[in-house]
Amino acid sequence: MSGHLTNRPITRRRFLTGLGVGATAAVVAGYGLSVWQDGGAGRASSSAGLRVTPTTLGGRDDHTLVVVELAGGNDGLNTVVPMTDPAYRALRPTMGVTYAIALDDEIGLHPELAKLAARYHDGHVAIVEGIGYPEPNLSHFASLGYWWSGVPGESGGVGWLGRYLDGTVGTSDPLAAVSIGPVPSPALLGTQSFATSIADASGLQPTVPARVDVDDLVAAWGGFAPASPDPRTLMGEVQQAIAYTVEARRGLDRELAGFSETGSAAGSLALAAQLVASDHPPRIVYVSDLGDFDTHQGQAQRQPTLLRDLDAGLDSFFTTLEAAGRADRVLVMTVSEFGRRPGENGSGTDHGTAAPHFLIGAAVKGGRYGAPPSLTALDPHGNLVATTDFRSLYATALAGWLDVDPFAVLGRASGAGFGPLPVLA
Amino acid sequence: MTVSARERIAHVVRRLSMAPHASIAVDLPDTDAAIARALDLSGAAATPLAMTPPDGSGKPEVRAIVEPIVWWLDRMQQPDRMVEERLTWFWHDHFATSVVKVREPYLMNRQHVTLRNHATGNFADLLKAVARDPAMLVYLDGITNAADERNENFGRECLELFTMGRDGGYTQDDVVAASRAFTGWVVDLPGRPFSDRLERLTGVQPWDSVFVARRHDDGVKTLLGVTGTFDLDGALDVILAHPATATFVARKLYRELVGLDPDDDVVESLAKEFRRDYEILPLVAEIVQRPEFTADDAVRAKVRTPVEKLVGIRQAGGPAGSASPVQGNASRGSAGVVAKALRAMAYVPFVPPNVGGFPKGSRLLGPGNLVHTFDLVAAAGTVPESRDGAGALATLGVFDVSATTRKVLDRQRDPQQRFALAVASPEYAVT
Repeated sequence: MSGHLTNRPITRRRFLTGLGVGATAAVVAGYGLSVWQDGGAGRASSSAGLRVTPTTLGGRDDHTLVVVELAGGNDGLNTVVPMTDPAYRALRPTMGVTYAIALDDEIGLHPELAKLAARYHDGHVAIVEGIGYPEPNLSHFASLGYWWSGVPGESGGVGWLGRYLDGTVGTSDPLAAVSIGPVPSPALLGTQSFATSIADASGLQPTVPARVDVDDLVAAWGGFAPASPDPRTLMGEVQQAIAYTVEARRGLDRELAGFSETGSAAGSLALAAQLVASDHPPRIVYVSDLGDFDTHQGQAQRQPTLLRDLDAGLDSFFTTLEAAGRADRVLVMTVSEFGRRPGENGSGTDHGTAAPHFLIGAAVKGGRYGAPPSLTALDPHGNLVATTDFRSLYATALAGWLDVDPFAVLGRASGAGFGPLPVLA
Repeated sequence: MTVSARERIAHVVRRLSMAPHASIAVDLPDTDAAIARALDLSGAAATPLAMTPPDGSGKPEVRAIVEPIVWWLDRMQQPDRMVEERLTWFWHDHFATSVVKVREPYLMNRQHVTLRNHATGNFADLLKAVARDPAMLVYLDGITNAADERNENFGRECLELFTMGRDGGYTQDDVVAASRAFTGWVVDLPGRPFSDRLERLTGVQPWDSVFVARRHDDGVKTLLGVTGTFDLDGALDVILAHPATATFVARKLYRELVGLDPDDDVVESLAKEFRRDYEILPLVAEIVQRPEFTADDAVRAKVRTPVEKLVGIRQAGGPAGSASPVQGNASRGSAGVVAKALRAMAYVPFVPPNVGGFPKGSRLLGPGNLVHTFDLVAAAGTVPESRDGAGALATLGVFDVSATTRKVLDRQRDPQQRFALAVASPEYAVT
């Protein structure tokens, strides 16, 4: 990304120096400054203990990780279907998948994932089975919090990708990570870095009356940030966020020029593809508005639609990047706060635990990783017992794709049970 | 920065209502008077929006949700019963329900009337009303929760989000027990299968909820250590009697009003009082009469939400034309611009992004959110008169202005541009 901003009227160095954050990196930025915990009020700093020393991680800037969050808890058993396990039919008498697309003698993909199945057969899709974490929490918000922080049991603080950003680019590039969705993903929340969030292809371009010059307006707006905002006040936090936003807008404007999309799941992935195909691709893209996978009810109708949109979105994502000659710079990883209960509840499934996830990309050695959870040895609440820690999934992307020490991001103690999987090599 | 007397009064008004009410704030002598003004319920109650119940013959007209949205945004600006507006919004966020799943604006409007009727009343009554509210029964799948087909959706969210809180001490077994107690409630959805039969068997009216004993699990349950054959109200009584419930609600309301985390002993004393009868208005009064509510730390401690920004803009400039502020698409004039921006910020009333409610706090300071604040300016019918930057912010109920902000705004010759920048200023981003 070097040279990204050098031709601009205000260089990055001048900009940061102006904010007084260039050398010390002691000031945190944007929404990274504080956290609104548990959906309540009150500014609280992170309680999560893990910290990364700024800009010590290195890592490569010519790879992009695209995280695709299936919020609400995607039903894993009907996504990667254990077709030949008789226990599956017993657990899913009415809403089991009958015509899965066979991947081998044991498992198949949901019939709405046909294009993903084709990519699996081409050898570029890894399926990691049985992903979860110890002492599973069946709350959306607790479990999402753990996945975001990268530390089971901790939520509301720094995100795992925020630590990665702290340790790599710091505040030097507001476009190193882009979150697609109405609010920034907490996974990107750092203490000494900044991530950009956009909801749609309008990016950071406001809509103002025709006679108002947008660039003039935004330039004046940038003046709201004083030379050194007071990071201890909420106002100071806003001022700093405005300054970073003005900076991010300069780059993003160019990268999204002439692009439009519809706001659907496919639209968000198309937007992600546009960013990756641009002249200055982000290191991280986090897509978190792909629909509501919380299928307590009507699962037989709702999940196929969600998976069809996902399949179409992923396919056009890769098709776009293949056409642009950029497919080799991207790794896609799916995440979700939990899988769903193996037993049906009548018309849907309640909150569960372990689920399979996908790693997709040209560099992926396709196939199955992890281990399928047993459908007969369930936990006391009738849920699957995870076989693979979600930090293994993260470590795989961190070590094998972003080329940083995964244990610096996920914790040294994590080395024992959840190192990287040999998906990328 | 020191807080001026005027800003402190405006702070009280903003936190206890849904609008800046700048013209009222400038006339109030002190914060005590502002509190009394905001808590005054002697003004006329709103006449609820009357929506015609659909006959169920066609597909749901989800877009009709625009009507209650506009009604509500208009009401938020009214100077009467300010605290009722704050609390009605608070309960909508608390008992978050989305028309995207419910599909019927008519049911959403009914739920709104229920929330409004109980907003300043009694939390136990409110909880019991919401638990049998048709929109909620659809939203969290109560209607499919039956003795032989238990659905945990409402049971879990009720404990986690509506009563005890995530760390309130309940277990998965309690979720199961509560869900069993909640079985049996259904909604008569005209045009859907079984609607006619349900009406014949129970005498239920279209769009009402009704208890069907045959679907209820009347077995013995152990909930939070208490054993009985609880039904819906019985289980809710057990949950209300648990100390965690009063603590959770009191803490959340304190954070809503004060904008800061309360000390544990403060919450405990508030909760102890609250648990005696669950009266909401006395709890509010107790919180706002505490010194923390008007202390410097509390002023501007919250991120102003997009809906609060919008209401303030409409109050300053009058609503833009006859078009709703939420209808249409961006290529079709000001209403479409505002609608698109609100959707992009996940802040459309009746459309919370999930059962956890609307995003809050620093998550609202993402770059997309900050930039698209400019789009909300289109909601103002006319640009309010102002001579300088401080004047522009005063129309939005902001009275203390930093030197940096003043300099930027004073430089603007064009009133429209000055107002737009005032709306997007750091001062208006907080509350």
